Amino acid sequence: MSLIDLTSMAEPDEEEQEKIEETLEGLKEDIPDLCYQCGKCTSGCEAFILLELEPHSIMGKSKAGFIDELVNSDEIWTCMQCFKCQERCPQDLSPVRVIFALKNLAVAAGKEIPSGYQKMLQSVLGNGLIQQPKEVLNRANETRKREDLDLPPVPEPEDMDKVQQILMKATQEKLR
Amino acid sequence: MKELGLYLGCVIPTEQYGYEMSIREVLPKFDIELVDLEESTCCGAPLRNVNMFTTMYLSARNMALCEKKGIDLYAPCPICHLGLTEAKESLEENPELKDKINSKLEEEDLQYEGSTELYHTLDLLHDEIGLDEIEDQVEEPLDDLTFAAHYGCNTIRPNDLDRPDDSENPQKLEELMETIGIGTEDYPEKLDCCGGQVISDHNESALTKAGEKIEAVQDQGFDGLSTICPWGHRMLDSKQDSAADTIGESLDLPVMYYIQLLGVAMGIEQSRLGLELNLSPVDNLEAIESIEEAE
Repeated sequence: MSLIDLTSMAEPDEEEQEKIEETLEGLKEDIPDLCYQCGKCTSGCEAFILLELEPHSIMGKSKAGFIDELVNSDEIWTCMQCFKCQERCPQDLSPVRVIFALKNLAVAAGKEIPSGYQKMLQSVLGNGLIQQPKEVLNRANETRKREDLDLPPVPEPEDMDKVQQILMKATQEKLR
Repeated sequence: MKELGLYLGCVIPTEQYGYEMSIREVLPKFDIELVDLEESTCCGAPLRNVNMFTTMYLSARNMALCEKKGIDLYAPCPICHLGLTEAKESLEENPELKDKINSKLEEEDLQYEGSTELYHTLDLLHDEIGLDEIEDQVEEPLDDLTFAAHYGCNTIRPNDLDRPDDSENPQKLEELMETIGIGTEDYPEKLDCCGGQVISDHNESALTKAGEKIEAVQDQGFDGLSTICPWGHRMLDSKQDSAADTIGESLDLPVMYYIQLLGVAMGIEQSRLGLELNLSPVDNLEAIESIEEAE
């Protein structure tokens, strides 16, 4: 279901409507009946100028029920997670949390998610951290590893297999 | 002696070694014993984008590791600190979710109660240790320097959760700098984001954000920029050259973790503070030894 389908529907598709209601129910705490589109969130949004993220338009579209449209969009993946939109909303709403919820829906629906997040998730599932310890350079261009710097080994669960199994199950759970 | 679980998260122990080294060197001098959490994992916050339940589970697991040892938790990374704070408050409000998470933690013989206090570098230094105690340990005040402060978004926002400083007018980092002799003042770009959290998928935009902030600080005549966030430091220091290339400007702003500056002011041997790993030109500052001197 897309924006176009919705606006061009002659007869309301009750099944689709129900699905939207259900999705909205899940997002109820975050969704923005109270948003009056002042645009303060977008004016302070760190991703607005460079990546064209418009939190107020995401709020408007969610309110109108265009969840599917948003879940399939690239814009939800441009949020820098600075939390300024929430901080500055005169109605105490949280566009950033709506965006998190939409991203969660996208993942749950099996949408293709940006490769960076995919990689991060795989790494956490594999060894518990978003990346493995790196060899870094110093200002003289010499490489340094943790052990060169007298730092202890990186923490890792003793039984990583078990943690992995729990994590695999956890990713199937929904918060609400 | 206060014992604290040193929860490093992901970015610090896998590449921001200068932050970890200076933490391990400086904090014990303030009677803090750092206890390593060998079994810890990612805090889960980066996975908020993917699955909120997993985020909560991982955060609760890391706090449960501290509870098992009966100690509070120190997270030097603001993103971890925010993730853990959010999980702590959510689980307090939602006993059902807490039970569900505990049933998963049980498989590892862990239990989450919610008794662990959380600290970040900023409130640990400013509120727990305190400015007086810090001043007492300063041997070589850095009087000739004027630095700008970079807090990191998640250090101060969102204010519906317990954050280490005010969301719109944070001043603790400035006060900490003044305590060790460094001059500082507010600047218009102070609360601007470094772009760090979108670097993996929007590399150029992220580097542009970082570059613009560095350029602004440099143009206003500051000698350097002080950080307390490993993601911010990674963008503003480690990737300063790439940021310069991206915005087509020449950038040469010394960027240092506050705790490195503190270590220098306390007269700690500079090689122990990981200063060779700052890739911005920190040795342009008179107080900082060049790499050759350090060796």
